[in-house]
Amino acid sequence: MTAMAGAIARGEVGGRLWFYANYHCNLRCTYCLTESAPEVTRRELGREQIVERAREGRELGFTALGVTGGEPFVLEYMPELIAALGSELPTIVLSNATVFNDRRLREMEPLADLPVQVQISLDRPDPDDNDAMRGPENFRKVVEAVPKLVERGIGVRIATTLEDPDAADPHEMERLCELHRSMGIPDEDHVVRPIINRGRAVSNDLGVLAGFEQLEPELTLTADGAFYSPFAPTVRGGDLDTDLLVSRTTAPLREPAEMLARIAGSRPAGNDASIGIR
Amino acid sequence: MTNSWAHVRAETVARADASVVALIDAEQAPILARPYYAGEGPPSPITASLAHVPEVLEATLPFVGRILGPTAIDLRAKEIVILRTSALMECRYCVEAHTTVALDSGLSVGEVCALRGEREVEAVFTNRDELALISWVDEVALGRGAAPEDITARAREVMGDPELVEMTLVVAATLMLNRYCSALGLPTSAATLARLAEEGLA
Repeated sequence: MTAMAGAIARGEVGGRLWFYANYHCNLRCTYCLTESAPEVTRRELGREQIVERAREGRELGFTALGVTGGEPFVLEYMPELIAALGSELPTIVLSNATVFNDRRLREMEPLADLPVQVQISLDRPDPDDNDAMRGPENFRKVVEAVPKLVERGIGVRIATTLEDPDAADPHEMERLCELHRSMGIPDEDHVVRPIINRGRAVSNDLGVLAGFEQLEPELTLTADGAFYSPFAPTVRGGDLDTDLLVSRTTAPLREPAEMLARIAGSRPAGNDASIGIR
Repeated sequence: MTNSWAHVRAETVARADASVVALIDAEQAPILARPYYAGEGPPSPITASLAHVPEVLEATLPFVGRILGPTAIDLRAKEIVILRTSALMECRYCVEAHTTVALDSGLSVGEVCALRGEREVEAVFTNRDELALISWVDEVALGRGAAPEDITARAREVMGDPELVEMTLVVAATLMLNRYCSALGLPTSAATLARLAEEGLA
């Protein structure tokens, strides 16, 4: 067993290795961690880099992979990349599901035979409320896309991001759950998480504060280096936050992995991570 | 070396606050860099710039601290080496920072001025060991290829192997920092500038 596999087995480090595929996005959500939008710099990690690090990750003992952005599926090669990753380890890819046209859906069909899930954001059961956070037509596009993915046998999860999940209106939550069930998504594939007060959420005064004591250590690779968590490589006022930067070195993967394990080992006792991205 | 420091100061003072790279404050300090931010007041510009690459910071600062900090070599001798090298390399940041450290290490204002090239070294320093050391520093910092035999012989007369190794490495580490600080335009702290003005060494 590698040192990283041991740290994962003991629960000191999360087993999922995350990749920020890119930073640009067709949407401009009010709580976006990375201030993503159509005009921002792409900052692509690169498909070859992602595949190589994923293979290293499997050898080091990581148990799963995750891909996020930006919107990963604005990159032409994303379906093929996710298939390659799914052949290495169970993979989850976060998406806003607004770019799934017929061609894209055909390209994604091979994912049905792999341990891959597409995690799609849907925050509110009412189109106007949802779209106020995520942009015009978002709700309609999501409720159109999800059944099409399900029909093709592709794994789908729904992620709901709320200002305060504990204070959510139970009736509204029930309507949201009825909606995802109606689209073929069972309750176990619906995750609810808080807005994190980083990135654009800071500008909009949204979300809960989260430092490294509250976040699960999950190695996250970006074009700017390796970070402590997928919540870490955030952007505020156009500047990358470095407070949760682990290292600029991302290859070989063993180096940032060992640094993350060292950081995780230095967390004060009793500081159990309480916030995860999925 | 004659009076090189004055023109460097005049040329660089206008951009003293214009660091080429962003200096990372404590709030944005990466996790592995945070122990180096633990002291009172803001971190040094060297720390705050190296924090962009925490894995490099983790290797560099202990290395620099070990070589330039207290060791078997007394601080006065070490500051002669650091200040002289920095002046030869025309590193504004290092000269300003180490002028104050040199004063605190027991060097006089006259000695500091001589090391900075503002006075003749031989007119101020009379100790044979220190003159040999300064000659060695000048050769290591500015020379190319092997050192001339006479300078090496003078150095060997006053330094054993351990001292010669360490002093040479102090010059080399200072050269590295001189080029780093100069190229990145690291700003001198307000406190240091105030002290220099107070001592008449600004």
